[in-house]
Amino acid sequence: MGRIFVFGDDIDTDVIAPGGYLHLKIEDVKKHCMEAIYPDFWKEVSKGDVIIAGKNFGTGSSREQAPVVLMELGISLILARSFARIFFRNAVNVGLPIGTIADPSEFKAGDIAEIDLEKGVLIRAADHKEINFKAPSGALADILSEGGIIPYTLKKLGKLPDDKR
Amino acid sequence: MRSQGKSAIEKVFSRLTSKDAHSGDFVWASPDMVYVHDVLGPMMLDSYRKLGNPPVKYRGRTLFVYDHIFPPKDSASANNILSMKEFASLNGIESIPAGDGIEHTLLIERGDITPGMFVVGSDSHTVTAGANGAFGAGLGSTDLACLLASGETWFMVPETILFRLQGKLNRFVTGKDVILNIISRIGVDGANYRCMEFRNDGGAHLGLDERLAIANMTVEAGAKTCFLPPDVSHEKLTEIQSDEDARISEELSVDLSSIEPEIAAPYSPGNVKHVSDLQGTEVNQVYIGNCANGTLTDLKEAAEILKHNHVRDGVTMIVVPATRNIYSKALDLGLIKIFLDSGAVVSPPTCGACAGLHMGVLGHDQVCVSNTNRNFRGRMGDPTSKVYLANSYVAAAAAVEGKIVNPQEVF
Repeated sequence: MGRIFVFGDDIDTDVIAPGGYLHLKIEDVKKHCMEAIYPDFWKEVSKGDVIIAGKNFGTGSSREQAPVVLMELGISLILARSFARIFFRNAVNVGLPIGTIADPSEFKAGDIAEIDLEKGVLIRAADHKEINFKAPSGALADILSEGGIIPYTLKKLGKLPDDKR
Repeated sequence: MRSQGKSAIEKVFSRLTSKDAHSGDFVWASPDMVYVHDVLGPMMLDSYRKLGNPPVKYRGRTLFVYDHIFPPKDSASANNILSMKEFASLNGIESIPAGDGIEHTLLIERGDITPGMFVVGSDSHTVTAGANGAFGAGLGSTDLACLLASGETWFMVPETILFRLQGKLNRFVTGKDVILNIISRIGVDGANYRCMEFRNDGGAHLGLDERLAIANMTVEAGAKTCFLPPDVSHEKLTEIQSDEDARISEELSVDLSSIEPEIAAPYSPGNVKHVSDLQGTEVNQVYIGNCANGTLTDLKEAAEILKHNHVRDGVTMIVVPATRNIYSKALDLGLIKIFLDSGAVVSPPTCGACAGLHMGVLGHDQVCVSNTNRNFRGRMGDPTSKVYLANSYVAAAAAVEGKIVNPQEVF
């Protein structure tokens, strides 16, 4: 179960991970996540939470800190009408589940919901309303299911990650 | 009957994969060159450690560039560069001398990025390679670590959106206005995942510096990569650009002579207005210089405005030549003296305040006219600050007047 956070269109990477902190460690960057539009976001969000947004989520920079800080803060799924290219790619690569939806207005901020990644559905606790989402398919689904492109590449290279040896 | 022609980017992926690549295909490929900067570099090294620090399998050319926070602003940014230099020397990777310039301008100037190449970089503005007829795409740091370790990475071969350029630019109108005009037409995700390809029709010709401005901001329309006709022979151009009968997803005409100086108002590069709409907006800072608009052309344009004028009291004007070579030429041409005498501050080449990193970061409620590429909330500093994106004439004129004006008025 997680809480839903709702954002609008064109949420950019400078808002998600501001430039002035990028030379620091992720633990420091994450305290500034969304600070220009939602200063307490990093304090309020916790594991299992979901972001629902409009079009072009993650527009802007290639900074991988953007999906990483969201994941570090506990975001377990991002659903948007569309994603900017590099954010989409980075999210898959770091193993952050994402999906596209037709209508972001079906859920409200603060709703509690359960994620079913396998079925591609988000279920609201209060009324069991379901929202279907389209997750990445093909090789990208394989990368995501391995937990990101690092475990995927280790497998490809015939190696096990250090923590699984 | 000959099979259907290919788009420029389909030709690239066909070459890289030695297969008949079509838009929409998912491919694993090895780019011709990879370049990594000092903000994503340390994260790439973290990912490389998680891969067990394997020997580099990627056989193309890898370059490390230290441009984002250089000279370092604090010990954290200095240590980031040291960690990259250590990795570079252990793994036989080439480091570009720090201080030589901002990667996207510098690597074209040095001749590292040449027409027809496919390059990837740790920066979304890697699309700037399109200014020299190369195809550049930005990737994240883990992506790059896995590319170096395994020798390849994945791509969806993009569709192509073709822009036919006609006519000539008017006085005080530059490549910056062309791309702002296009983004206002197609929107900030109008080219998402696609290749923006440009073609010169009816006598249109744009020099490299104008092309840099255009290519650089194609990512602000969501483009994966872009291509502008470089200064090569007709035969070479025919070889690398899309065939006449290639599958093109959308085609638009751009009449260069109809474009006027444009400004993107906060907080989106797509929030484009004419200068006249914003006339009189008060300004505290003016910033000239980034990976596309710290060119000699930009510095000349700014100097034209500042030659007989002075930066207004209360306004900070910062000029950042994009490379050491541009800086040196500007010195020879007397441009640097014009900037200093007019009250501007001249910075060494760096990504600097364009991305809110250092050297001119904005404070509370400050308003900046900048010839850079992004004006997101908090992009150049404090979340309450505001950034207006414009060409170098408009930016320099704003420094003189302390407000947004038509450059004609101060010339």
